Amino acid sequence: MNFRVVFQAISLGFFLILLWLATFPLVEWIPVDFFLRLDPLVFSGTLISSRQWIWTLVPGLAIIGLTLILGRFFCGYICPMGITIDISDRFFRTRNKDQNALDPDKEVKLRKIKYFILFFILGMAILSISSVFLASPLSLITRFYGLVVYPGLVLMGDTALDVLLPLNLMLGLDGLVYAEVQTYRFATQWFIVLFFITVFGLVYYAPRFWCRYLCPSGALMALASKRPLVRRKVSADCTDCGICRKKCPMGAIDDDPYNTFHQECITCETCVRACPENAVSFSLSHAEKVSGTVGFIPGRRQLIASALAGTGSAILVHTGISRVQSDFLPGNILPDSLIRPPGALLEEDFQARCISCGLCMKACPTNTLQPTWFEAGPGGLFSPKVLPRRGPCDPLCNVCGRVCPTGALRSLSPAEKMWARIGTSTVIKHKCLAWEWNRECLVCFEVCPYAAIELKRVPESSAPVPFITRHKCSGCGACEYHCPVQGSSAIIVEPMEALRMNSGSYIEKGRAIGLELEADPDRERKLPEYLFDPDDSEDLPPGFSF
Amino acid sequence: MKKNKNISSDNSTGYFSVTRREFLKKHGQAAIFAAAAVKAGLIFPLPAEADQIPDIAVARGGPVEATRAAVEILGGIGVFVKSGDKVVIKPNMSFAHPPERATNTHPDVVRTLSEMCIDAGASSVMILDNPLQGAELCIERSGIEKACRQVPRTSVRTMSSGRFFDKVILDQGKRFKETDVMRDVLDADVLIAAPVAKSHSATGVSLSMKGMMGLIRDRGIMHRRYNLSSAIVDLCTFLKADLAVIDATRVLASHGPMGPGEVIKADRVIASADMVAADAMAIDMFPWYGRDIMPRNVAHVFEAHERGLGRMDLENLIVKTVTA
Repeated sequence: MNFRVVFQAISLGFFLILLWLATFPLVEWIPVDFFLRLDPLVFSGTLISSRQWIWTLVPGLAIIGLTLILGRFFCGYICPMGITIDISDRFFRTRNKDQNALDPDKEVKLRKIKYFILFFILGMAILSISSVFLASPLSLITRFYGLVVYPGLVLMGDTALDVLLPLNLMLGLDGLVYAEVQTYRFATQWFIVLFFITVFGLVYYAPRFWCRYLCPSGALMALASKRPLVRRKVSADCTDCGICRKKCPMGAIDDDPYNTFHQECITCETCVRACPENAVSFSLSHAEKVSGTVGFIPGRRQLIASALAGTGSAILVHTGISRVQSDFLPGNILPDSLIRPPGALLEEDFQARCISCGLCMKACPTNTLQPTWFEAGPGGLFSPKVLPRRGPCDPLCNVCGRVCPTGALRSLSPAEKMWARIGTSTVIKHKCLAWEWNRECLVCFEVCPYAAIELKRVPESSAPVPFITRHKCSGCGACEYHCPVQGSSAIIVEPMEALRMNSGSYIEKGRAIGLELEADPDRERKLPEYLFDPDDSEDLPPGFSF
Repeated sequence: MKKNKNISSDNSTGYFSVTRREFLKKHGQAAIFAAAAVKAGLIFPLPAEADQIPDIAVARGGPVEATRAAVEILGGIGVFVKSGDKVVIKPNMSFAHPPERATNTHPDVVRTLSEMCIDAGASSVMILDNPLQGAELCIERSGIEKACRQVPRTSVRTMSSGRFFDKVILDQGKRFKETDVMRDVLDADVLIAAPVAKSHSATGVSLSMKGMMGLIRDRGIMHRRYNLSSAIVDLCTFLKADLAVIDATRVLASHGPMGPGEVIKADRVIASADMVAADAMAIDMFPWYGRDIMPRNVAHVFEAHERGLGRMDLENLIVKTVTA
């Protein structure tokens, strides 16, 4: 157990604890999106695509700065994706295999891929399309643990409570007997799993295959670590045994063990520990020659070509039918199911910022936030949407905006959040138990936290029927979730009149346009209109009958 | 709407309704409430004998005193709870609201009831509900968990996971014939309904009978497949509370069950061993939506009476009123 493994364990543990803490109510003492903010690609990609300086992402810049001094220490010690891949290494690789068995020509070609991916993403970002989510290691790994591993563990915990119930009852462990956990279900899981099986499986060909050949954040840091201040040095004690070269997980040591490809080195110091002669050290280096830059960074033309491929793809996204060019103009093709979370920026700006990390979805206490598949076009893959049939958006919860690392969802106070309307409900009369089946149902009226549903008597039905008071509806979806109709709900939220604002107060805006979106139970509120004629003795209040 | 035009010809509950209704109409809501509130104990033809245990007890006062007094009139908690009994109390704690909203049972009513049960020797008291809003928020904001924390052998729980429920056959149900009920309710020796008095848009009122829906897993089916009011009666043939204690310290007289609606500070607690009678009493005592409503205007109470589950004919019942 060396220092690095301990550091990695702490780092991954810290990452997972923060991920676990991303929930409602949210802790105040630390930003739970801390690790996402460290990703240099999240910083640079989002900065370019959003054209905004985003202060919360500055740690990513700091990592680039530190890389100039320390090399790619982030990859070796901090990155939870790298650590997870190191763990997968133990399962998918035979231990005594030469770490660097790939044919050198292939090696040189493969190593360029990460730069192509990086420049592709940056090229797309130039035209305001964020594809950071495709390959940012922190976005990927947050999505993996948050949307695949976490719900699985919760399910196992719930199952354990089920199975152990007789035992817990026998032992009188009331805390366990009555424990209930919120289980989660997510869309797009199979795709995420397949992706990660591929990433883990590629370890078979080379350790840290992803980090060596594919990771665009790694490529960005490689560009900064051509000549880090602290770097690998080999003393004259070296006997040229080649063990360090064989053991290096990044293949960063040349055939001549004196030569280090610093851009590939993640400063894990495996070579230091492997060297039988103690000839290798990492230290502040003086002006000795830096070797090994040969061939790994693609030529300028290749990089420009990658960036152009990115901008070309961005043009395809822009000219795709799902693209929203402006929320304010007609002609946008978006499905009714695309309800963005409260505080989401205007759609084009939202997509320019969202890195689809899934943290908001992990944090959402009602599981209503789900990854989007292709409804929002290729630029909106895995971005969050509200699925009211799965759970309502709790008016008192503001966690999604609070955990968003890029500000694609605005961080709102609870009071502001309550006014951040995400859509409007509509009654589907032909499915409604009251309208169509003459049933005294009205569950929607009962559960609406905004008191936006009123009951009226109509000639068509013997039961009072629900009507929506639109200026009081926030689109939270409590009605859609609780509606006892089977299949799709008889009352549904659609993105109609969602408040999408990049700045300013939702309360002020809402009041200005005549909304009343107060779900706060303590506030003075006007009663809804009476639902019957008090002067007509033939007319009784709702629910009563002669 | 099932309007029975023959209401005046059915005199089982039609006691001087015309004159009272006309009187009330003229005098507005304040008068309605004043009139309705003094009605209990004045209008009933069968006054309680000093030593006779009445069918319905109405106590006036704060939540603690009124709860104790109401149960005391019925002979004390010892009539219902024996030493070693497992007790389940079913309050309303389905909304993340504070007591002022009158959507949940007052925490002091629940606490007093559980203290009385424990004093009577109950081996455990479980306060159970299956909430509509987030369980933790409901437990916290209703104040019920906090109020009952100090009461020994008492726990406040919400349940929604399938492992807490067992299937039961409602063999006296007419259409609604099977459902999943909380296992702790099935295991209990004593079931106490402790609802808040509130209006309900679908069933007129939500009192002790309607409250039993909080002890089963799938409520949606009662709305979807059956006539809700009949399904409530079917359910109550099985979940028949041994004691109903209705918290009418605050009454949500309109726009229930969630409100916000008109909250009347009524300072009453109604208790009965007959949940239908307790519900009928609460319906009769208060002006719902400012109107004078009779028990027969509430379909599930009417049906329960007709099916012999309990009695809503208040004029034939012994009601005793005290000021605590």
